[in-house]
Amino acid sequence: MKKIPALLISLFLITGCASVAQERSLKNLPENEFSVEIPEGWWKPNHINKYFITKDGAFLQYVLIQQRPIDLPYRHTKKKLNKGMLPQEAAGIIIDEIASDRRIFNFDVIENAPAVIDGHEGFKVLFIYKDKKGSAFKTLYYGFISGDSFFNLRYNAAMRHYFEKDIADFEHILSSFKVVKAKAALQIARDR
Amino acid sequence: MKYLALIMVVWCLVAGCATPRPIPAISPLTADEEEQMIWRRAQKELDAINDSGMLYQNVEIENYLNRIAAKLHANSISPGFSFQIKVIKDPSLNAFASPNGVIYIHTGILARMDNEAQLAALLAHEIVHCTHRHSLRTLRSIKDRTQANNARVRELAQLLGINGSITSTSGYTRELETEADRVGLDLAIKANYDPREILNLFELLKQEIELEGIEEPYFFGTHPNVRQRIENVNNWLSEKYRGKITGIKNTDVFQSKISRLVLDNARLDLRQGRFFVAQRAVEKFLVIKQDDARAYFLLGEIFRQRGRQDDAAAAIKNYEKSISLNPSFPEPHKAIGLIHYKDGEKRLAKKYFESCLLLSPETIDRAYIQGYLKLCVTNGEG
Repeated sequence: MKKIPALLISLFLITGCASVAQERSLKNLPENEFSVEIPEGWWKPNHINKYFITKDGAFLQYVLIQQRPIDLPYRHTKKKLNKGMLPQEAAGIIIDEIASDRRIFNFDVIENAPAVIDGHEGFKVLFIYKDKKGSAFKTLYYGFISGDSFFNLRYNAAMRHYFEKDIADFEHILSSFKVVKAKAALQIARDR
Repeated sequence: MKYLALIMVVWCLVAGCATPRPIPAISPLTADEEEQMIWRRAQKELDAINDSGMLYQNVEIENYLNRIAAKLHANSISPGFSFQIKVIKDPSLNAFASPNGVIYIHTGILARMDNEAQLAALLAHEIVHCTHRHSLRTLRSIKDRTQANNARVRELAQLLGINGSITSTSGYTRELETEADRVGLDLAIKANYDPREILNLFELLKQEIELEGIEEPYFFGTHPNVRQRIENVNNWLSEKYRGKITGIKNTDVFQSKISRLVLDNARLDLRQGRFFVAQRAVEKFLVIKQDDARAYFLLGEIFRQRGRQDDAAAAIKNYEKSISLNPSFPEPHKAIGLIHYKDGEKRLAKKYFESCLLLSPETIDRAYIQGYLKLCVTNGEG
Protein backbone atom coordinates (compact mmCIF):
# COMPACT_ATOMS: atom_id res chain seq x y z
CA MET A 1 0.00 0.00 0.00
CA LYS A 2 2.88 2.33 0.77
CA LYS A 3 3.91 2.14 -2.80
CA ILE A 4 0.64 3.45 -4.24
CA PRO A 5 0.86 7.08 -3.01
CA ALA A 6 4.47 7.19 -4.13
CA LEU A 7 3.43 5.89 -7.51
CA LEU A 8 0.68 8.50 -7.79
CA ILE A 9 3.08 11.28 -6.86
CA SER A 10 5.59 10.07 -9.44
CA LEU A 11 2.86 9.86 -12.04
CA PHE A 12 1.75 13.39 -11.25
CA LEU A 13 5.30 14.68 -11.53
CA ILE A 14 5.91 12.84 -14.78
CA THR A 15 2.70 14.00 -16.43
CA GLY A 16 3.38 17.53 -15.17
CA CYS A 17 6.75 17.49 -16.88
CA ALA A 18 5.24 15.99 -19.99
CA SER A 19 2.75 18.80 -20.44
CA VAL A 20 5.55 21.33 -20.18
CA ALA A 21 7.52 19.33 -22.76
CA GLN A 22 4.54 19.42 -25.12
CA GLU A 23 4.18 23.20 -24.94
CA ARG A 24 3.07 24.26 -28.39
CA SER A 25 5.51 26.85 -29.61
CA LEU A 26 8.21 27.42 -32.18
CA LYS A 27 10.87 27.86 -29.53
CA ASN A 28 14.27 26.36 -30.14
CA LEU A 29 14.03 25.99 -33.89
CA PRO A 30 17.60 25.35 -35.00
CA GLU A 31 19.43 28.07 -36.93
CA ASN A 32 20.11 27.36 -40.59
CA GLU A 33 20.94 29.19 -43.78
CA PHE A 34 17.30 29.57 -44.68
CA SER A 35 14.20 31.38 -43.57
CA VAL A 36 10.55 30.41 -43.87
CA GLU A 37 7.19 31.74 -42.77
CA ILE A 38 5.34 29.29 -40.62
CA PRO A 39 1.53 29.48 -40.67
CA GLU A 40 -0.41 29.76 -37.44
CA GLY A 41 -1.09 26.58 -35.52
CA TRP A 42 2.18 24.81 -36.27
CA TRP A 43 4.58 24.02 -33.44
CA LYS A 44 7.81 22.23 -32.77
CA PRO A 45 7.95 19.24 -30.41
CA ASN A 46 10.68 20.04 -27.89
CA HIS A 47 12.24 16.62 -28.00
CA ILE A 48 13.06 16.83 -31.70
CA ASN A 49 16.24 18.76 -32.36
CA LYS A 50 15.47 19.55 -35.99
CA TYR A 51 13.56 22.07 -38.04
CA PHE A 52 10.49 19.94 -37.55
CA ILE A 53 6.99 21.30 -37.10
CA THR A 54 3.55 19.80 -36.81
CA LYS A 55 -0.01 20.91 -36.27
CA ASP A 56 -1.84 17.90 -34.86
CA GLY A 57 1.09 15.72 -33.85
CA ALA A 58 4.00 14.18 -35.72
CA PHE A 59 2.11 10.99 -36.51
CA LEU A 60 -0.62 12.91 -38.33
CA GLN A 61 1.41 15.45 -40.23
CA TYR A 62 4.75 17.22 -40.13
CA VAL A 63 6.99 19.49 -42.13
CA LEU A 64 10.71 18.85 -41.93
CA ILE A 65 13.20 21.31 -43.41
CA GLN A 66 16.84 20.34 -43.59
CA GLN A 67 20.09 21.80 -44.72
CA ARG A 68 22.56 18.99 -44.92
CA PRO A 69 26.21 18.97 -45.99
CA ILE A 70 26.32 17.57 -49.48
CA ASP A 71 28.92 14.94 -48.61
CA LEU A 72 27.16 13.68 -45.50
CA PRO A 73 26.54 9.94 -46.00
CA TYR A 74 23.03 8.58 -46.01
CA ARG A 75 21.91 5.78 -43.76
CA HIS A 76 20.44 3.34 -46.25
CA THR A 77 22.33 3.94 -49.47
CA LYS A 78 26.02 4.43 -50.00
CA LYS A 79 25.34 6.77 -52.91
CA LYS A 80 26.28 10.37 -52.35
CA LEU A 81 25.10 13.67 -53.69
CA ASN A 82 27.58 15.92 -55.44
CA LYS A 83 27.65 19.45 -56.76
CA GLY A 84 27.59 18.52 -60.43
CA MET A 85 24.45 16.48 -60.17
CA LEU A 86 21.30 17.19 -62.10
CA PRO A 87 18.19 17.55 -59.93
CA GLN A 88 16.91 14.33 -61.47
CA GLU A 89 20.01 12.48 -60.28
CA ALA A 90 19.69 13.95 -56.80
CA ALA A 91 16.03 12.91 -56.72
CA GLY A 92 17.13 9.39 -57.69
CA ILE A 93 19.44 9.18 -54.67
CA ILE A 94 16.73 10.42 -52.31
CA ILE A 95 14.31 7.84 -53.70
CA ASP A 96 16.94 5.11 -53.29
CA GLU A 97 17.60 6.20 -49.72
CA ILE A 98 13.94 6.08 -48.76
CA ALA A 99 13.18 2.88 -50.68
CA SER A 100 16.10 1.12 -48.96
CA ASP A 101 14.85 2.02 -45.48
CA ARG A 102 13.58 -1.20 -43.90
CA ARG A 103 10.98 0.70 -41.87
CA ILE A 104 9.26 1.81 -45.07
CA PHE A 105 6.84 -0.61 -46.72
CA ASN A 106 4.81 -0.55 -49.92
CA PHE A 107 6.84 2.44 -51.10
CA ASP A 108 5.61 3.90 -54.37
CA VAL A 109 6.64 7.03 -56.26
CA ILE A 110 3.61 8.87 -57.66
CA GLU A 111 5.43 11.80 -59.20
CA ASN A 112 9.04 12.76 -59.82
CA ALA A 113 9.50 16.11 -61.56
CA PRO A 114 11.70 19.18 -61.76
CA ALA A 115 10.85 22.06 -59.42
CA VAL A 116 12.17 25.51 -58.66
CA ILE A 117 12.58 26.39 -54.99
CA ASP A 118 13.56 29.97 -54.16
CA GLY A 119 14.95 30.28 -57.69
CA HIS A 120 17.06 27.12 -57.37
CA GLU A 121 16.71 24.26 -59.85
CA GLY A 122 15.55 21.27 -57.87
CA PHE A 123 13.09 18.44 -57.80
CA LYS A 124 9.87 17.36 -56.22
CA VAL A 125 8.96 13.78 -55.45
CA LEU A 126 5.54 12.67 -54.30
CA PHE A 127 5.43 9.23 -52.76
CA ILE A 128 3.32 6.99 -50.58
CA TYR A 129 4.32 4.30 -48.11
CA LYS A 130 3.17 2.34 -45.09
CA ASP A 131 4.85 2.00 -41.75
CA LYS A 132 5.32 -1.26 -39.85
CA LYS A 133 1.84 -1.03 -38.37
CA GLY A 134 0.28 -0.63 -41.80
CA SER A 135 -0.59 3.06 -41.49
CA ALA A 136 -0.45 4.78 -44.88
CA PHE A 137 1.40 8.07 -45.39
CA LYS A 138 1.94 10.43 -48.26
CA THR A 139 5.02 12.63 -48.59
CA LEU A 140 5.80 15.58 -50.80
CA TYR A 141 9.57 16.09 -50.89
CA TYR A 142 11.31 19.08 -52.45
CA GLY A 143 15.09 19.32 -52.70
CA PHE A 144 17.91 21.22 -54.37
CA ILE A 145 21.67 21.49 -54.21
CA SER A 146 23.21 24.88 -53.52
CA GLY A 147 26.93 25.21 -52.90
CA ASP A 148 28.01 22.63 -50.36
CA SER A 149 24.51 22.04 -49.06
CA PHE A 150 21.52 19.98 -49.95
CA PHE A 151 18.32 21.72 -48.88
CA ASN A 152 15.11 19.79 -48.58
CA LEU A 153 11.59 20.45 -47.44
CA ARG A 154 9.21 17.62 -46.91
CA TYR A 155 5.60 17.44 -45.97
CA ASN A 156 4.52 14.10 -44.58
CA ALA A 157 0.99 13.29 -43.49
CA ALA A 158 -1.41 10.45 -42.91
CA MET A 159 -2.81 9.66 -46.32
CA ARG A 160 -6.42 9.76 -45.21
CA HIS A 161 -7.71 13.24 -44.46
CA TYR A 162 -4.54 14.90 -43.16
CA PHE A 163 -2.47 15.12 -46.34
CA GLU A 164 -5.09 17.15 -48.18
CA LYS A 165 -6.06 19.12 -45.09
CA ASP A 166 -2.71 20.83 -44.59
CA ILE A 167 -1.11 20.79 -48.02
CA ALA A 168 -1.94 24.49 -48.48
CA ASP A 169 0.05 25.35 -45.34
CA PHE A 170 3.02 23.46 -46.74
CA GLU A 171 2.75 25.27 -50.05
CA HIS A 172 2.81 28.54 -48.13
CA ILE A 173 5.94 27.43 -46.26
CA LEU A 174 7.54 26.33 -49.51
CA SER A 175 6.81 29.59 -51.33
CA SER A 176 8.20 31.60 -48.40
CA PHE A 177 11.43 29.57 -48.27
CA LYS A 178 14.59 31.60 -48.83
CA VAL A 179 18.25 30.69 -48.60
CA VAL A 180 19.97 33.23 -46.37
CA LYS A 181 23.43 33.53 -44.96
CA ALA A 182 23.64 32.48 -41.33
CA LYS A 183 26.36 31.60 -38.94
CA ALA A 184 28.16 28.33 -39.35
CA ALA A 185 24.98 26.45 -40.13
CA LEU A 186 26.85 23.67 -41.84
CA GLN A 187 28.95 23.08 -38.81
CA ILE A 188 25.80 22.87 -36.72
CA ALA A 189 24.37 20.29 -39.07
CA ARG A 190 27.58 18.28 -39.00
CA ASP A 191 27.67 18.32 -35.21
CA ARG A 192 24.07 17.19 -34.92
CA MET B 1 14.58 0.85 -33.28
CA LYS B 2 14.66 1.77 -29.62
CA TYR B 3 12.60 -1.29 -28.82
CA LEU B 4 14.80 -3.44 -31.00
CA ALA B 5 17.85 -2.26 -29.10
CA LEU B 6 16.14 -2.93 -25.79
CA ILE B 7 15.07 -6.35 -26.93
CA MET B 8 18.62 -7.10 -27.94
CA VAL B 9 19.86 -6.01 -24.52
CA VAL B 10 17.31 -8.15 -22.74
CA TRP B 11 18.05 -10.98 -25.11
CA CYS B 12 21.72 -10.81 -24.28
CA LEU B 13 20.96 -10.63 -20.57
CA VAL B 14 18.63 -13.55 -20.42
CA ALA B 15 19.54 -15.77 -23.31
CA GLY B 16 22.96 -14.92 -24.59
CA CYS B 17 24.95 -17.28 -22.45
CA ALA B 18 22.15 -19.60 -21.51
CA THR B 19 21.97 -23.26 -22.14
CA PRO B 20 18.34 -23.77 -22.99
CA ARG B 21 16.45 -26.30 -20.95
CA PRO B 22 16.37 -29.21 -23.34
CA ILE B 23 13.05 -30.59 -24.40
CA PRO B 24 13.08 -34.01 -25.98
CA ALA B 25 14.06 -33.33 -29.55
CA ILE B 26 11.97 -36.19 -30.87
CA SER B 27 8.82 -35.45 -28.88
CA PRO B 28 5.72 -35.54 -31.08
CA LEU B 29 4.61 -32.13 -32.22
CA THR B 30 1.59 -31.51 -30.09
CA ALA B 31 1.57 -27.82 -29.56
CA ASP B 32 0.70 -26.86 -26.01
CA GLU B 33 -0.73 -23.52 -25.00
CA GLU B 34 2.66 -21.90 -24.87
CA GLU B 35 3.60 -23.03 -28.33
CA GLN B 36 0.21 -22.10 -29.74
CA MET B 37 0.75 -18.60 -28.41
CA ILE B 38 4.10 -18.42 -30.20
CA TRP B 39 2.51 -19.59 -33.43
CA ARG B 40 -0.35 -17.11 -33.16
CA ARG B 41 2.09 -14.29 -32.61
CA ALA B 42 4.22 -15.56 -35.50
CA GLN B 43 1.20 -15.62 -37.77
CA LYS B 44 0.53 -11.95 -37.04
CA GLU B 45 4.10 -11.09 -37.97
CA LEU B 46 3.86 -13.17 -41.13
CA ASP B 47 0.61 -11.45 -42.10
CA ALA B 48 2.40 -8.13 -41.76
CA ILE B 49 5.26 -9.36 -43.97
CA ASN B 50 2.80 -10.69 -46.54
CA ASP B 51 1.06 -7.30 -46.74
CA SER B 52 4.24 -5.24 -46.77
CA GLY B 53 5.12 -5.50 -50.44
CA MET B 54 8.40 -7.15 -49.37
CA LEU B 55 7.68 -10.55 -50.89
CA TYR B 56 9.41 -11.50 -54.10
CA GLN B 57 6.62 -12.85 -56.22
CA ASN B 58 7.79 -15.66 -58.47
CA VAL B 59 5.79 -18.87 -58.40
CA GLU B 60 8.41 -20.86 -60.25
CA ILE B 61 11.13 -20.00 -57.74
CA GLU B 62 8.83 -20.63 -54.77
CA ASN B 63 7.85 -24.03 -56.13
CA TYR B 64 11.49 -24.87 -56.69
CA LEU B 65 12.44 -23.87 -53.14
CA ASN B 66 9.51 -25.77 -51.68
CA ARG B 67 10.48 -28.92 -53.59
CA ILE B 68 13.98 -28.81 -52.13
CA ALA B 69 12.62 -28.16 -48.64
CA ALA B 70 10.29 -31.15 -48.97
CA LYS B 71 13.20 -33.34 -50.02
CA LEU B 72 15.21 -32.28 -46.97
CA HIS B 73 12.27 -32.46 -44.62
CA ALA B 74 11.46 -36.06 -45.60
CA ASN B 75 14.25 -37.24 -43.28
CA SER B 76 13.59 -34.85 -40.43
CA ILE B 77 12.32 -35.82 -36.96
CA SER B 78 8.90 -34.27 -37.62
CA PRO B 79 7.92 -35.20 -41.16
CA GLY B 80 4.36 -34.10 -40.40
CA PHE B 81 5.45 -30.52 -39.95
CA SER B 82 4.32 -28.36 -42.85
CA PHE B 83 6.85 -25.99 -44.43
CA GLN B 84 6.44 -23.07 -46.76
CA ILE B 85 9.35 -21.19 -48.30
CA LYS B 86 9.03 -17.54 -49.29
CA VAL B 87 11.44 -15.01 -50.68
CA ILE B 88 11.88 -11.45 -49.43
CA LYS B 89 13.12 -8.62 -51.63
CA ASP B 90 16.15 -7.64 -49.60
CA PRO B 91 19.76 -7.58 -50.77
CA SER B 92 21.17 -8.44 -47.36
CA LEU B 93 22.50 -11.93 -46.72
CA ASN B 94 19.88 -13.40 -44.51
CA ALA B 95 17.26 -16.07 -43.97
CA PHE B 96 14.99 -16.79 -41.05
CA ALA B 97 12.41 -19.30 -39.96
CA SER B 98 9.13 -18.62 -38.28
CA PRO B 99 8.30 -21.22 -35.61
CA ASN B 100 5.22 -22.30 -37.57
CA GLY B 101 7.26 -23.52 -40.52
CA VAL B 102 7.36 -20.52 -42.85
CA ILE B 103 10.94 -19.93 -43.94
CA TYR B 104 11.94 -16.61 -45.48
CA ILE B 105 15.03 -16.28 -47.65
CA HIS B 106 16.32 -12.90 -48.73
CA THR B 107 17.00 -12.39 -52.43
CA GLY B 108 20.48 -11.22 -51.37
CA ILE B 109 21.59 -14.59 -50.08
CA LEU B 110 19.95 -16.55 -52.91
CA ALA B 111 21.65 -14.35 -55.48
CA ARG B 112 25.08 -15.05 -54.00
CA MET B 113 24.73 -18.83 -54.01
CA ASP B 114 26.31 -20.97 -56.68
CA ASN B 115 24.29 -24.15 -56.58
CA GLU B 116 21.41 -26.13 -55.14
CA ALA B 117 23.60 -27.87 -52.56
CA GLN B 118 24.33 -24.50 -50.94
CA LEU B 119 20.65 -23.65 -50.95
CA ALA B 120 19.86 -27.06 -49.41
CA ALA B 121 22.36 -26.41 -46.62
CA LEU B 122 20.69 -23.13 -45.75
CA LEU B 123 17.16 -24.55 -45.94
CA ALA B 124 18.13 -27.56 -43.84
CA HIS B 125 19.51 -25.25 -41.15
CA GLU B 126 16.26 -23.27 -41.02
CA ILE B 127 14.11 -26.43 -41.08
CA VAL B 128 15.91 -27.67 -37.98
CA HIS B 129 15.07 -24.45 -36.13
CA CYS B 130 11.40 -25.35 -36.65
CA THR B 131 11.42 -29.12 -36.20
CA HIS B 132 13.57 -28.86 -33.08
CA ARG B 133 11.29 -26.10 -31.76
CA HIS B 134 14.03 -23.64 -31.05
CA SER B 135 11.60 -20.80 -30.41
CA LEU B 136 9.79 -22.76 -27.73
CA ARG B 137 13.03 -23.90 -26.17
CA THR B 138 14.33 -20.35 -26.15
CA LEU B 139 11.14 -19.09 -24.57
CA ARG B 140 11.27 -21.75 -21.87
CA SER B 141 14.90 -21.06 -21.26
CA ILE B 142 14.14 -17.37 -20.79
CA LYS B 143 11.29 -18.20 -18.45
CA ASP B 144 13.42 -20.58 -16.41
CA ARG B 145 16.20 -18.12 -16.02
CA THR B 146 14.00 -15.19 -15.25
CA GLN B 147 11.86 -17.12 -12.76
CA ALA B 148 14.90 -18.41 -11.01
CA ASN B 149 17.12 -15.40 -11.15
CA ASN B 150 15.63 -12.15 -12.14
CA ALA B 151 12.01 -11.21 -11.95
CA ARG B 152 12.67 -7.71 -13.25
CA VAL B 153 14.25 -8.98 -16.43
CA ARG B 154 11.23 -11.25 -16.89
CA GLU B 155 8.88 -8.31 -16.57
CA LEU B 156 10.89 -6.33 -19.06
CA ALA B 157 10.97 -9.25 -21.46
CA GLN B 158 7.19 -9.57 -21.22
CA LEU B 159 6.75 -5.87 -21.66
CA LEU B 160 8.79 -5.92 -24.84
CA GLY B 161 6.94 -8.90 -26.23
CA ILE B 162 9.68 -11.48 -26.06
CA ASN B 163 7.05 -13.95 -24.89
CA GLY B 164 5.47 -13.60 -28.27
CA SER B 165 6.73 -15.17 -31.41
CA ILE B 166 10.43 -15.68 -31.61
CA THR B 167 11.30 -15.84 -35.25
CA SER B 168 14.97 -16.29 -35.68
CA THR B 169 15.71 -12.97 -37.34
CA SER B 170 18.11 -12.19 -34.54
CA GLY B 171 19.47 -15.69 -34.07
CA TYR B 172 19.32 -18.26 -31.32
CA THR B 173 21.85 -19.25 -28.73
CA ARG B 174 25.15 -20.77 -29.69
CA GLU B 175 23.95 -24.26 -28.75
CA LEU B 176 20.79 -24.08 -30.83
CA GLU B 177 22.62 -22.65 -33.82
CA THR B 178 25.18 -25.43 -33.59
CA GLU B 179 22.37 -27.97 -33.39
CA ALA B 180 20.78 -26.44 -36.51
CA ASP B 181 24.13 -26.66 -38.32
CA ARG B 182 24.79 -30.24 -37.22
CA VAL B 183 21.32 -31.68 -37.89
CA GLY B 184 20.98 -29.55 -41.02
CA LEU B 185 24.18 -31.04 -42.39
CA ASP B 186 22.76 -34.50 -41.74
CA LEU B 187 19.53 -33.66 -43.59
CA ALA B 188 21.47 -32.33 -46.58
CA ILE B 189 23.60 -35.48 -46.73
CA LYS B 190 20.54 -37.74 -46.45
CA ALA B 191 18.96 -35.82 -49.34
CA ASN B 192 22.11 -36.60 -51.33
CA TYR B 193 23.51 -33.06 -51.48
CA ASP B 194 27.23 -32.42 -51.45
CA PRO B 195 27.83 -31.33 -47.85
CA ARG B 196 31.07 -29.51 -48.68
CA GLU B 197 29.05 -26.81 -50.36
CA ILE B 198 28.03 -25.33 -47.03
CA LEU B 199 31.72 -24.56 -46.53
CA ASN B 200 31.88 -22.90 -49.93
CA LEU B 201 28.83 -20.84 -49.06
CA PHE B 202 30.36 -19.78 -45.73
CA GLU B 203 33.58 -18.81 -47.51
CA LEU B 204 31.82 -16.94 -50.30
CA LEU B 205 29.81 -14.89 -47.89
CA LYS B 206 32.68 -14.31 -45.50
CA GLN B 207 34.66 -12.84 -48.38
CA GLU B 208 31.80 -10.60 -49.36
CA ILE B 209 31.22 -9.46 -45.80
CA GLU B 210 34.87 -8.47 -45.56
CA LEU B 211 34.95 -6.91 -49.01
CA GLU B 212 31.89 -4.75 -48.61
CA GLY B 213 32.20 -4.10 -44.91
CA ILE B 214 28.66 -5.47 -44.60
CA GLU B 215 27.28 -5.90 -41.16
CA GLU B 216 27.47 -9.64 -40.58
CA PRO B 217 23.95 -10.94 -40.90
CA TYR B 218 22.33 -13.38 -38.59
CA PHE B 219 22.59 -16.52 -40.71
CA PHE B 220 26.33 -16.07 -40.85
CA GLY B 221 26.37 -14.16 -37.64
CA THR B 222 28.06 -14.41 -34.33
CA HIS B 223 26.21 -17.24 -32.56
CA PRO B 224 28.62 -18.95 -33.10
CA ASN B 225 30.77 -16.90 -35.40
CA VAL B 226 31.36 -17.94 -38.94
CA ARG B 227 34.88 -19.23 -38.32
CA GLN B 228 33.66 -21.51 -35.56
CA ARG B 229 30.88 -22.79 -37.80
CA ILE B 230 33.35 -23.60 -40.58
CA GLU B 231 35.49 -25.45 -38.07
CA ASN B 232 32.48 -27.38 -36.73
CA VAL B 233 31.40 -28.46 -40.20
CA ASN B 234 34.94 -29.53 -41.06
CA ASN B 235 35.10 -31.59 -37.87
CA TRP B 236 31.77 -33.31 -38.49
CA LEU B 237 32.70 -34.08 -42.07
CA SER B 238 36.01 -35.61 -41.12
CA GLU B 239 34.68 -37.55 -38.14
CA LYS B 240 31.07 -38.59 -38.61
CA TYR B 241 30.87 -38.54 -42.39
CA ARG B 242 34.35 -39.72 -43.34
CA GLY B 243 34.25 -41.51 -46.67
CA LYS B 244 30.69 -40.37 -47.39
CA ILE B 245 31.40 -36.89 -48.63
CA THR B 246 29.81 -36.96 -52.02
CA GLY B 247 26.56 -35.74 -53.43
CA ILE B 248 24.91 -33.57 -56.02
CA LYS B 249 25.30 -29.83 -56.54
CA ASN B 250 22.74 -29.19 -59.29
CA THR B 251 24.54 -26.06 -60.40
CA ASP B 252 22.92 -25.64 -63.82
CA VAL B 253 19.36 -26.19 -62.63
CA PHE B 254 19.85 -23.80 -59.73
CA GLN B 255 21.38 -21.04 -61.83
CA SER B 256 18.74 -21.28 -64.48
CA LYS B 257 15.95 -21.15 -61.87
CA ILE B 258 17.24 -18.11 -60.01
CA SER B 259 18.83 -16.13 -62.84
CA ARG B 260 16.03 -13.54 -62.98
CA LEU B 261 16.21 -13.13 -59.21
CA VAL B 262 19.95 -12.43 -59.49
CA LEU B 263 19.20 -9.51 -61.78
CA ASP B 264 16.36 -8.22 -59.63
CA ASN B 265 18.54 -8.37 -56.55
CA ALA B 266 21.33 -6.52 -58.38
CA ARG B 267 18.86 -3.63 -58.76
CA LEU B 268 18.41 -3.61 -55.00
CA ASP B 269 22.17 -3.63 -54.49
CA LEU B 270 22.51 -0.75 -56.91
CA ARG B 271 19.81 1.13 -55.04
CA GLN B 272 21.90 0.80 -51.90
CA GLY B 273 24.97 2.00 -53.75
CA ARG B 274 26.76 -1.35 -53.56
CA PHE B 275 28.19 -0.96 -57.04
CA PHE B 276 30.74 -3.74 -56.97
CA VAL B 277 28.32 -6.38 -55.68
CA ALA B 278 25.71 -5.29 -58.20
CA GLN B 279 28.21 -5.38 -61.07
CA ARG B 280 29.38 -8.86 -60.13
CA ALA B 281 25.80 -10.10 -59.99
CA VAL B 282 24.90 -8.73 -63.42
CA GLU B 283 28.04 -10.22 -64.90
CA LYS B 284 27.10 -13.56 -63.32
CA PHE B 285 23.64 -13.26 -64.88
CA LEU B 286 25.12 -12.44 -68.29
CA VAL B 287 27.13 -15.65 -68.25
CA ILE B 288 23.81 -17.51 -68.17
CA LYS B 289 21.72 -15.21 -70.37
CA GLN B 290 23.97 -13.38 -72.76
CA ASP B 291 21.33 -11.57 -74.77
CA ASP B 292 19.37 -9.77 -72.12
CA ALA B 293 18.84 -6.08 -72.88
CA ARG B 294 17.80 -5.28 -69.31
CA ALA B 295 20.98 -6.76 -67.88
CA TYR B 296 23.16 -4.60 -70.14
CA PHE B 297 21.07 -1.57 -69.23
CA LEU B 298 21.56 -2.33 -65.54
CA LEU B 299 25.29 -2.70 -66.05
CA GLY B 300 25.24 0.69 -67.77
CA GLU B 301 23.36 2.16 -64.81
CA ILE B 302 25.93 0.77 -62.38
CA PHE B 303 28.75 2.51 -64.29
CA ARG B 304 26.84 5.77 -64.81
CA GLN B 305 25.77 6.07 -61.20
CA ARG B 306 29.18 5.11 -59.82
CA GLY B 307 30.66 7.92 -61.86
CA ARG B 308 34.36 7.08 -61.67
CA GLN B 309 36.81 7.99 -64.40
CA ASP B 310 35.99 6.11 -67.62
CA ASP B 311 32.67 4.92 -66.17
CA ALA B 312 30.68 7.10 -68.59
CA ALA B 313 32.29 5.36 -71.59
CA ALA B 314 31.67 1.93 -70.06
CA ALA B 315 28.08 2.93 -69.35
CA ILE B 316 27.45 4.06 -72.94
CA LYS B 317 28.94 0.83 -74.27
CA ASN B 318 26.50 -1.22 -72.19
CA TYR B 319 23.53 1.00 -73.01
CA GLU B 320 24.30 0.65 -76.71
CA LYS B 321 24.50 -3.11 -76.35
CA SER B 322 21.14 -3.00 -74.59
CA ILE B 323 19.61 -0.95 -77.42
CA SER B 324 21.05 -3.30 -80.01
CA LEU B 325 19.34 -6.23 -78.27
CA ASN B 326 16.04 -4.44 -77.79
CA PRO B 327 15.69 -1.17 -79.75
CA SER B 328 12.25 -0.46 -78.27
CA PHE B 329 13.49 -0.45 -74.66
CA PRO B 330 13.37 3.29 -73.73
CA GLU B 331 15.55 3.40 -70.61
CA PRO B 332 19.01 3.15 -72.23
CA HIS B 333 18.03 5.93 -74.66
CA LYS B 334 17.26 8.22 -71.74
CA ALA B 335 20.45 7.26 -69.91
CA ILE B 336 22.69 7.95 -72.92
CA GLY B 337 20.86 11.25 -73.33
CA LEU B 338 21.71 12.16 -69.74
CA ILE B 339 25.40 11.41 -70.17
CA HIS B 340 25.61 13.53 -73.34
CA TYR B 341 23.54 16.29 -71.74
CA LYS B 342 25.92 16.53 -68.79
CA ASP B 343 28.88 16.52 -71.18
CA GLY B 344 27.37 19.49 -73.04
CA GLU B 345 26.74 17.37 -76.14
CA LYS B 346 23.27 18.79 -76.54
CA ARG B 347 22.69 17.62 -80.11
CA LEU B 348 23.40 13.99 -79.20
CA ALA B 349 21.46 14.34 -75.96
CA LYS B 350 18.43 15.65 -77.85
CA LYS B 351 18.47 12.70 -80.21
CA TYR B 352 18.40 10.17 -77.38
CA PHE B 353 15.86 12.05 -75.26
CA GLU B 354 13.54 12.28 -78.23
CA SER B 355 13.84 8.60 -78.97
CA CYS B 356 13.12 7.82 -75.30
CA LEU B 357 9.93 9.90 -75.32
CA LEU B 358 8.90 8.37 -78.61
CA LEU B 359 9.24 4.89 -77.16
CA SER B 360 7.69 5.78 -73.81
CA PRO B 361 5.65 9.01 -73.91
CA GLU B 362 4.36 8.44 -70.36
CA THR B 363 7.70 7.67 -68.69
CA ILE B 364 7.60 8.81 -65.04
CA ASP B 365 10.40 11.35 -65.49
CA ARG B 366 9.12 12.82 -68.75
CA ALA B 367 8.95 16.28 -67.12
CA TYR B 368 12.73 16.22 -66.64
CA ILE B 369 13.29 15.06 -70.22
CA GLN B 370 10.99 17.72 -71.63
CA GLY B 371 12.98 20.28 -69.63
CA TYR B 372 16.28 19.01 -71.02
CA LEU B 373 14.87 19.09 -74.55
CA LYS B 374 13.81 22.73 -74.13
CA LEU B 375 17.31 23.64 -72.98
CA CYS B 376 18.85 21.71 -75.87
CA VAL B 377 16.79 23.86 -78.25
CA THR B 378 17.36 27.21 -76.49
CA ASN B 379 21.09 26.52 -76.46
CA GLY B 380 20.92 26.68 -80.24
CA GLU B 381 21.65 23.07 -80.87
CA GLY B 382 18.16 22.05 -81.93
